[in-house]
Order: sequence, then structure tokens, then C-alpha cells
Amino acid sequence: MLLALALLGMLALAVAAPLLARRLGRKTGYPLAAGYLAVAALLASAAPRVWAGETETASWEWLPSLGVSLSLRLDGVAGVFCLIVLGVGALVMAYCPGYLGDEEPHGTVYLLLSLFATSMLGLVLAADVVLLYVFWELTTVCSFFLISTAGAAAARPARQALLVTAAGGLALLAAVVLLTVAAGTTDLATILADPERVLGSGLAWPIGGLLVLAACTKSAQLPFHFWLPGAMVAMTPVSAYLHSATMVKAGIYLLLRFSPLFAEESAWSTALICIGLLTAVTGAFLALRENDLKGILAYSTVSQLGLLVAVIGVGTPEALAAAVLHTFAHALFKATLFMLAGIVDEETGTRDIRELSGMWRAMPVTAATTVLAALSLAGVIPMLGFVSKEYLFQGLLEAEGPPWAGPVALALGVTASVLTFGYAARIVYGGFGGDDLHPDVSEPPAAFLLPGAVAAGLGLVLGPAVSVLSPMIDAAASDVAPTGEPPDVYFWHGLSPELAMSALTIVLGLVLFGFRAPVDRALQRLRLPDAGRLFDRVHDGVIALGHAVGRPERTGSPAAHLSRPLVAVVALGAVGTLVVGGLPARADTDRPLDWVVAGLLAVVVPAAVLTGSTLAAVGLVGITGLLVATWFLLAGAPDVALTLMLVEVMTAVVAVLVLRGVPGRLVRSPRREAVPAAALALGAGVAATLATLAFTGRRELSAVGEHFLTSTEEQTGGTNVVNTILVDYRGLDTLGEAVVLGTTALGTALVLGRSEWRGAAAGTPADRRGDAVLEVSSRVLVPGMFLLSAYLLWRGHDEPGGGFIAALVAGAAIALSRLTHGPGTRLSRLTRPDRLAGAGLVLVVAVGALPTVQGQAFLTPVELPWLHALGIGSTFLFDLGVYLLVLGLLAAAVTRLEQPDRTAGDEPPGSPVTGPLVTSGVPERAP
Amino acid sequence: MTAALVVGLLVAGGVFLLLRRGLLRIVLGFVLLGHAVNVLLVSAGGMQRRGAPLLGETEADVAADPLPQAFVLTAVVITFGITVYMLALARAGDPGATTGHPPARADASSPADGSDRDDPDRDDADRDDATADRGRRTDAPEGGTS
Repeated sequence: MLLALALLGMLALAVAAPLLARRLGRKTGYPLAAGYLAVAALLASAAPRVWAGETETASWEWLPSLGVSLSLRLDGVAGVFCLIVLGVGALVMAYCPGYLGDEEPHGTVYLLLSLFATSMLGLVLAADVVLLYVFWELTTVCSFFLISTAGAAAARPARQALLVTAAGGLALLAAVVLLTVAAGTTDLATILADPERVLGSGLAWPIGGLLVLAACTKSAQLPFHFWLPGAMVAMTPVSAYLHSATMVKAGIYLLLRFSPLFAEESAWSTALICIGLLTAVTGAFLALRENDLKGILAYSTVSQLGLLVAVIGVGTPEALAAAVLHTFAHALFKATLFMLAGIVDEETGTRDIRELSGMWRAMPVTAATTVLAALSLAGVIPMLGFVSKEYLFQGLLEAEGPPWAGPVALALGVTASVLTFGYAARIVYGGFGGDDLHPDVSEPPAAFLLPGAVAAGLGLVLGPAVSVLSPMIDAAASDVAPTGEPPDVYFWHGLSPELAMSALTIVLGLVLFGFRAPVDRALQRLRLPDAGRLFDRVHDGVIALGHAVGRPERTGSPAAHLSRPLVAVVALGAVGTLVVGGLPARADTDRPLDWVVAGLLAVVVPAAVLTGSTLAAVGLVGITGLLVATWFLLAGAPDVALTLMLVEVMTAVVAVLVLRGVPGRLVRSPRREAVPAAALALGAGVAATLATLAFTGRRELSAVGEHFLTSTEEQTGGTNVVNTILVDYRGLDTLGEAVVLGTTALGTALVLGRSEWRGAAAGTPADRRGDAVLEVSSRVLVPGMFLLSAYLLWRGHDEPGGGFIAALVAGAAIALSRLTHGPGTRLSRLTRPDRLAGAGLVLVVAVGALPTVQGQAFLTPVELPWLHALGIGSTFLFDLGVYLLVLGLLAAAVTRLEQPDRTAGDEPPGSPVTGPLVTSGVPERAP
Repeated sequence: MTAALVVGLLVAGGVFLLLRRGLLRIVLGFVLLGHAVNVLLVSAGGMQRRGAPLLGETEADVAADPLPQAFVLTAVVITFGITVYMLALARAGDPGATTGHPPARADASSPADGSDRDDPDRDDADRDDATADRGRRTDAPEGGTS
């Protein structure tokens, strides 16, 4: 309950932020800071229980079928991170009003910051690995948007940050999936309670590797460190929050959280210690050669996080306690330093330490605060940073492995710390020391300075009083340490090796500072590989690769798109020829007339393909269709033959309508296109021939065909078996077909524009009169064709005919009427395509649904009470629906295509509309 | 054997039309491919029995398999619907595209059409330019994302 309240409270603050911003503007930060403190207080009420080793939990069902729940859990380690997120969050929010200008989008910034804080809080409270992953990605997304608020300059760094951390997020997702597989649950506490189950599953290596990868991307460890310095383009409060309390600390949290599983695995330890120390030294080194205050701080974060990763890798209770303490200390001093860098930037307009000088005179309080935070960063007594660094050294010394491992780790840690001292001195001296170059600069308003001062003051006070933190650190360390008791933390360790190391650090650091001028010169001359540029090059390379892969697709030529599947068909044919064998013998079924049809096709098809005339091509393809229809007739399929013949006629009519106003010649393809096309066509033809030979003529009548032939009459009362299959047995297929037709009718009508439709219906037919033969024949033929159509529909159940054929005949009648009389006749008003198609669709669906009223299956044929006497059953009405749909399509095609061309430039204005059939061989094109 | 040859012939013709210029050729190629598939379907039902499957008129032992015929009947009508739709699409665009001629704008400065037949390559070059233009336009937004 407590946890839900906290998280919902954060969410409510996020939602309220833009609303508050509308009223309060940049001052919205203050109520938000107060809200964060309230949430922190709420969670703190559970502190005594948590420190006593208990946990606070809350859980709701989310995906019960997967065992995933929305569960939250507050334990010691979560508590420390909650405190950091909320405490630093409150400071940053209180800092924002001073930093933000009046022009900035306050609502957006506050909303994103609040969502960022909420995601981070959810991340550390999540008790389910899936939920953990979700919050992890939310922090990535929020940080991307926060960095992006800096404008165009932030595009590249924001993209880098997003890609790197989202890649890590994917690694985490993979780890979560593997963990769930290995442990059989998504509950974090259960997974961590039984390390053997995961370690013994064989998935331990991939899980550990993926977790390290995820943490390294998020916490900017080598070689992913480059995104963090890039992200400093974000506005300073965002940087302060992102570098100290959120985002990068998520990686540290993840490593701490999974320490109980892996801390005793030497691979995990070795990997973390190596990565961490390498990053610590490299980051500190890079910080030393930076001149931008925020740049120094960014590399400093990289370096400090490296130390944390290394000490987590050591994995002893002492080391883990040191990690927790240093995480806390780092949050305090890093937030302070960023806030102060922002103040300097605001007051002087620059962050470059080469341009800043001697500001301690003008800004003594700011300078003092900076010194406090820098001392903590450098690990100088008596700051909190000193205590935590002592523990870090102590932890590093415990690194397991060969006897030299601990000292080497410590030496690297000390090296990083010496460099840290060096750049901390650079920050202080570079910004505030030296001659006064900024006489007009003054101290910022107290409210602007206060948040940083509070954090710096805490760093000073909590150093000697570090025992106050002891219960918190203890509880956290014992949560994450697999074995053993963590030590209590003290300010003073006595004269220990760590103290000697600290002293050495300070001495060497002072030496480094003393030789700053030659060191600076040497560092500036150094040319180092830029990982960010490498990343950009890889990124650009991937984009270019995608571009290259997609290039063949970016063409307007259909042939380019069509040729590839066709090549695949040919390849399939070739493979089939080689692989398929042992087929039963083929029966020789050819009859003399078959050869006649095939021979005619052998003449007509090449002619149709090769002709350059538009009309000839249409006509020859039509003749091909009629020859194929003849072939169907020979094959014993009169229904198909009849339908195909009518279809060919109607196709020719539609094609001719389309071709009005279109050049009479087809464009000749150049040889370089025609030759490959011909080769591919021949290949496809051979493949098709071989496939047909392989797949046909090798068996008797199929069992299902046998069934239809023997039982159709008994079951349906029809004798035309093909028609009964369409309307009785396979009604659902026919319904699907009807829907396709309805869709094409609608599509045709839409493609050709609706406005002309109404206009056409009102148009006068006057200009069409003239051709006496056509008119007389249509007067006679049109009614006759409709009668024939009705007859074909009615007899379809028993003899060749049926809805398709009948509709095609009626469609031909409509076309004839339209060609003769033009639009506006009574017939064309009766055959509005939308009404026909709509009525047809309603009829087929209604007839199909009728039996369901009686509890029978959809489309079951039923007898209709008073129509039964006429021999009309529901199947007839179904067929009628199909009829209407086909007629609707035809009417749409004829009506729409018959309109004068919309690109009216083809015809001289004012001239009478040319009859659609008079498209001559001479191109009609614009002058 | 003849069925296989007919299928091969229709496929070859259809593919050749599909791969050449002009939307009309593509539509006609599609029609030929449709015929090829329909012939294949019917011949898959067997070509020994060739009686129309009309009970009472044909002896049951010579009647052809009715099921492929039902398939093909459906296919013929759907092919027709799609052909009409494709023709409508061809018509809706630039009329020149139907036959593969360059867009009307490009014609403004070109001489009378008769020259097209004499010098098809010049025409083709125009067409290529138009295609390349289209390609560049497609590229543009991607270049702008960085």
C-alpha cells in the first residue's frame, strides 16, 4: 500500500507538472520538490522495519497467465536508491526555477523530469524482473527526450544515448527471459533466493554476460562510455539528475541487485573489476584533458562509476558496503558540481575553464560550495567522499584471484583517484582561482545556490557523522551480499593501509596539480581514438547498408518488383526437376482437338505478346481467352467455358473503355530490357510446363470428386454438380468470392472518382444518338439479354448457368445500352453499381445467416415456405446475391470507365465526346 | 501433354508481358497467367474423363471431376474482378502510363507522336529519367532523418 501510494504519488506529480507549469511557470519546481520530499518521508516511515531486515511489498496481477505481476518491494538496497532518487530529485527540482529561462517549455521539462524520477523509482522498487525491464526502458526513453529538449545540437548525442542504452535494454530483456526460463519465475526475490537454480541451469554465463552488458551501457562503462559526455548538451538540471541519481545509477543498481547470484563467480568478478578499473582510469584521464566544466564532470562520472563497478565486482560484504556508500556520496557531490557548473554558466555565459578565472572574488559562496564538493570528489578528509573512498580502497584490496590481484586493483584505483584529484583541482582552480577576469559577475540569488549548497553541506557533515548512515548501508549491503555480514561504517579507521593510500593520493594529486601547465600541454597534444565517432561511423554504415539493401526496391518500374518472385519460381522449378523423382506413370490423354487448340494458342499468344498495337494486344489476349475457353469445353467444363467466354467479352469491353484517349501504340522496350524479360519468360514457361507434367495425369478421379458425382442430386436436388458445389457445398468460398467482387466494385468506383457518378446519372444521352445500327440492335438485344440472363440464373442449379454467367450476360446488356445511349437512361439509373453491389452483399449474408436462426450452421440450405413451390430455395437467393454483386462490379466498371477522360486535355474542348469504340490506331494525344 | 504445353505457353507469354513497360501489358500478362493457372487446375482433375458433370446427361463413369471446375469458375470470376480493378487503376493514373509512354508533362516539348515509333530509344530515355526522378524523391526523406 505504502509503495503503491509512493509510486502513484510520483505519477500524480508528473501529471500535475504541466498543469502547474501553466500557472506557475518555472517556479513549478518548488511544489514538485516539496512533493518529492513528501514521498521520501512516506517511504522513510518504513525505514525502521527495512533496516531491521524486513521488506515492504505490494503486488497486483498483471499477466497472470505468464506469472508476471505488478509487484513492488522495498528492501535495504532499494531504500538507498529511493533516497538518492527522491532526495537529489527534490534538490534538482528546487534548482530548476533558478536555471530555467522564461522561454523554455517549462511544462515539458517538468513533466519529463518527473516521469524520469518516477521511472527510476519504479525501477528500484520493482520486484518482478519483467517490471524491472519495463521501468529500465522507461528511463531510457525519458532520458532521450530530456536530452532532446536541448534542441538541434542535441540530436546526435540524444540518438547516441538512446541507441546505446536501448541496446543495453535489449540485452536486459534477453537476460530477463533467460532468467525466467532458468528460474521458472519472474519474481526477483525468488530468483535471488536460490542462486544454485540459475547457476546450475547452464544459462548462467549468458545471463551474467547480458546483465553486465546492460549495466555497462547504462552506466557508461568502456567501451560504451561516449554517450554520457555527449549527453551533457542537455540542460544542466537534467545533467545533474542524470549523472548523479538516475539513469547511470540504474546500471549500478542492476549489478548490486544481481550480486547475490553472481558475486562468487570469478568470471563475473574478473569482468567487472577489469571493466570498472579500466573505465575509472580512462574516464579520469579524459576528464583531465577536458576544458568544459560539464565535460570534466561527465568524464568524472564515467570514472567514478568505473570504481563502483570494480568494487561491486569484488563482491565481498565490505566491498558491496563501500559501493553503496560511494554511490550515495557520489550522488551528493556530483549533483552539487553540476548545479554549480550551471550557475557559473548562467552568470558568466561560459563553461570553459580557459575563459573563466578568479571568480572567487565575485562569487565567494559559490566558490566555497564548489570547493566543498570538489574536496568530496577528490576524497579529502573530512568529507563523505573521503570515507567512501577509504572503503573503496579497502574493498579493492580484497579482490580475489592471484595474490597480486588485490594490490594491482588497488594501484589502479589509486591512479584513478590521483587523476580525480587532479581534475577536481582543475575545476576549482580553473573556475575560481587566478586573476579576476569577470568584474561584472555577481553571486547568484540564494534560492538558486541553495540546493547545491545543501548537497555540499551534507557531504561535509556526513563525513564525520557517517555512522548515521550505518543502518542504511548495512541493510543495503546485507541485501546484496551473498554471504557474510557487512561492516558498520566509521569515519576513522585508524592508521590503516587505506589511509596511507588516501594520503598518497593527495600528495600525488598535489604534484599533478603543481605541474598542471606541462601536463596540460602534453595532454592536449595527445590524439586519442574517439569512441563516439566510431559509433557514428558504425551507425552511418548501418544506415548506408540498409539504404543499399533497399535500393533495388526504390524504383517506379513494376518489372523490377515482379522479376524477383518470378526468378524464385524458375529456381523452384529447377530444384523440383532435380529433386522430384519416382512419380507414377502418366496416362496419355491427348486427343486430336487438344492439339488443334494448343497449336492455335502457339500462334495467338506470341502474337498477343509481341504486337505493338494497343487494340491488337487487347484483341489477341481476348482470342487467347476464347481458345482457353474452348479448351475447357473439350475438357468437359461447359460452365467454366461459358463463363470464361463471357468474361472475355466483358474484359474486352472494359479494356476498350479504358483505352479511350490513350496512345494507340504500346511503348517498345529497349533491347536491354526485352532480352532478360524474354529469358525469364522462357524459364518460367519451361518451369510451368514441367510442373504441370509432374502434377497432372497421374491418378484417377479424386475421392471428393467421386463423392460429389454420386451424392449431389440426392443431397441438393440439383444436377449441375459444379453449380451445387458453388452454392450448396462450398457456399462459404463463394461468399468470400462475392466479397472480393464487392470490394473490387467499390474500389473501381472509388478509384475513378465518385463525383462524376451523380453527374453522369443526370447527363443527357442526346449526343450518343446517331449510329442507327447500334441503336436498333441494342433496342432488340438489351431486353433479350436480360431475359436470357434471368433464364440462366433460374436454371443454374441443374444445367450450365448460374449467378456468374447470368450476371455477365446482364452486364453485357448494360454495356451495350451504355454504349448506345450513354448515361442517364432509366436502365443506368436502375443499375447503380453501389445499389447492386450493396443489395447483393446484403442478400448473400442474409441468406447465409438465415439458417442460424434455426440453430443450424451458417449457409445451410433451407427451404423457404412459400417460394418452395416455384422451386426456389435459399441457394437460389444466394445465387441471386452473387448475381447482383457481379452485376454491380460490371456496372461500376462500365459506368465509371465510360465517363469522358478526366485528364480532359486529351480531347479538344467543345468537341463532341468521341464514341468509346472509335479509339483508332492513331494516338490521340495532346498537341 | 497438351495441357502442360498450354500452361507453359501461357505462363511464358504472361511473364513476358508482366516484365515490360506499360500498365496495360501488365494487366494483360496477369490475364494470361490467370488462364494458365486455371488450365493447370482443371487438368489436375484428370483429362481422361471429359464428360460435363451434369447428372442425367452424362454417364457417371465419364463425368469429369467437378471440384477443380468449381475452383476455376470462382477463379475466373475473381480474376475478372481484379482485372477490372487493375484497368481502373491504370485509367486513374496518367493515360500515358497505360501504354508505357512518358508522363504528359514530358510531352510538352517533344515533337509529334509519330516520331516515337521511329525513335523509341529517345522515348525510353525520357522514361528512365522519370523513373530516376521518382527514385530520388523516395530517397529524400531518409536523408533528412539524421
